[in-house]
Amino acid sequence: MNEVLVRSGGLYTTVQDAGRDGHYAIGMPPSGAMDRYSFTIANLLAGNPGPTAALEATYLGPELEFTDSRTVAVTGADCSVTVSGASAPMWMSLRVGPGDVLGFGPLKAGARPYVAISGGLDVPEYLNSRSTYKLTGIGGFGGRALAEGDRVPLGQAQDPPAEGTTVPEEFLPEFPDVVELRLVVGLCSYRLTENALDSFLDTTWKVTKDADRIGYRLRGGTIDFVEREQPFGAGSDPANVVDLGYPIGSVQIPGGNEPIILLNDAVTGGGYATVGTVVSADRDRVAQTGTGGYVRFNATDVDSAVQARQDRDAWLHKLRTVLTG
Amino acid sequence: MSTMNAQLPGVFYRRPSPEQAPFIEEGGTVEPGQLVALIEVMKTFNEVKADRSGIISKFLLGDGDEVEAGQGIVEVDEA
Amino acid sequence: MAETTVRLPEARYEFGGDEFVFVELDREMSLQANFKAMAITGALRDRELEGVVDICPSNASYLVRLDPGKLHPTELVEELRRLEHSAGELDGTRVVSTRVVDVPVLFDDPWTRETLLRFRDNHQDPNVTDLEYAARINGFSAVEELIEAIGSAPFIVTMLGFVPGLPFCYQMVPRERQIEVPKYVRPRTDTPERAFGYGGAFAVVYPVRGAGGYQLFGIAPAPVFDGTQSLPDFHDRIAFPRPSDILRYRPIDRAEYDHVRSEVEAGTFRYRIREVEFSPTAFLEDPDSVNRDLLEELYR
Repeated sequence: MNEVLVRSGGLYTTVQDAGRDGHYAIGMPPSGAMDRYSFTIANLLAGNPGPTAALEATYLGPELEFTDSRTVAVTGADCSVTVSGASAPMWMSLRVGPGDVLGFGPLKAGARPYVAISGGLDVPEYLNSRSTYKLTGIGGFGGRALAEGDRVPLGQAQDPPAEGTTVPEEFLPEFPDVVELRLVVGLCSYRLTENALDSFLDTTWKVTKDADRIGYRLRGGTIDFVEREQPFGAGSDPANVVDLGYPIGSVQIPGGNEPIILLNDAVTGGGYATVGTVVSADRDRVAQTGTGGYVRFNATDVDSAVQARQDRDAWLHKLRTVLTG
Repeated sequence: MSTMNAQLPGVFYRRPSPEQAPFIEEGGTVEPGQLVALIEVMKTFNEVKADRSGIISKFLLGDGDEVEAGQGIVEVDEA
Repeated sequence: MAETTVRLPEARYEFGGDEFVFVELDREMSLQANFKAMAITGALRDRELEGVVDICPSNASYLVRLDPGKLHPTELVEELRRLEHSAGELDGTRVVSTRVVDVPVLFDDPWTRETLLRFRDNHQDPNVTDLEYAARINGFSAVEELIEAIGSAPFIVTMLGFVPGLPFCYQMVPRERQIEVPKYVRPRTDTPERAFGYGGAFAVVYPVRGAGGYQLFGIAPAPVFDGTQSLPDFHDRIAFPRPSDILRYRPIDRAEYDHVRSEVEAGTFRYRIREVEFSPTAFLEDPDSVNRDLLEELYR
């Protein structure tokens, strides 16, 4: 039958791959797995080549019933996983058969579990990607989160790693109480007073309930903007600028008291001053920080940002060698 | 006595809307599947249902409090 | 002519982390800044640089998304600085091939009126409609005069974004004749699909239903975004507007609105489009005469 049955969708579980590049200029964000590191490892363990479509859950994972033999792997947020009621390890290649049910218990740390299934999720491609983008209802499974009763098609399984193949300890992510995010300060940071920028970087920010794939709203301090005469076309609020493009990972501070980090499904532009950008490698950490979690921003430069990305990719490459021998 | 924990982080509500009465008061009895509270996160209100039967002895959180995943929300005297 | 005297400051190059370069051409809006953004991003597109993922011209700035594994952001900035000097200066010979499009709009319609009345608490002046407020603060004695001013001169698409297919449009008139309105004090959580809004100095058509902070003036019967690509104008692209498109927002009545809606629903609607050669310098010298020619060409 080549499909997996959804017995429960969990809180918000979507099909994601590496994202839909090349349409930012019309206002379409790339979507794609938010924690690229965990997503990549899930696919490695399921024996899928490259960034194959997998499931990204949020806080509460789905319940999935298999209709054929597959290799599956759960990575990302630390949670209890069961296969047909028996406890099963995360970060390991698991073998399941027809009628087996993958389930999730309570979340222990992190925010987003990833589930990769050998053969991948064979939903139709939209503009060369299977990633879900809910705002316009495109990609993924019907452009929406999974719900009870859905039957998601699966692709032809390749040659998966041996059952029990597991990720060595040193490759597992950590979930610190305060998550440190490297930030390239800039863009429209001239709108902040010097003290405001220092205070922004000194503050430990708490993630509010408004934290999803579009962006994270934070709380914890107040930020002052430089007084100015309003430039023509900018709008009257001190946080406003003439509408411009927003980088993914950029931080804006509407109202001066609730910074927002824009993420994979974000708006691509608008009229709020952006003050810096979280480096791409650290978006993995944002993805695993949930509502009620804490983040801090550490200023860094563009060379370190590029280096951080290379380091993450090199680390994944090393793991690939370890797992495939 | 046992404690029911939140499965989601967010904001905890004991009533369907600010003007309405709580789903259940302390001292009330619950059955499995009965709605006892809501947790708001990612712009949705998610139902918190009892997973056991018994008498609600104490709510550990107030209406509108922030809640973390795994945090205790209500104590139940199991029948 | 106020517009022709605009002098742009030095461009400001900023890194948006490792995946983006943001270039601010000016902090205030002007057609000069936008023409410069279009010229540089056009030249960058022609260069077909390995590692450039997205090129996004914006109102008075532009944003480039890149793959840092293939192109280092500092190398891209060097290239962009070169392009600023080779392509960024407006010269009289530069002509842009673009389109003039008739975009019908039903002003003061029942749908946006219902929405804006629901969100009066989010607005600067809860006692009047968005149109009444905008007319007053822009010195018009009646809403009809404001609508007439919007319809009297075309707009140019200076940026696409926010959500897929949303055109930011700047009216092609000198600054002293620009309509300018603030955004809502607190954004609405709802806006009808195809709503025609105004914020700062920009007019937009909302492609999809959702949040929004622009003043609501009306609704367009024809879509600007079609994810299913069923209408003929969307066969090649899911978003209709393109940067530098010249849009004429034409006030229509309810009967024409209903007629266009029925064409859209039948899948037969096509925008009235004319291909034109547009000279930014000729426009800046005499905007009214260029606009007259553009509209004459459109309705010929």
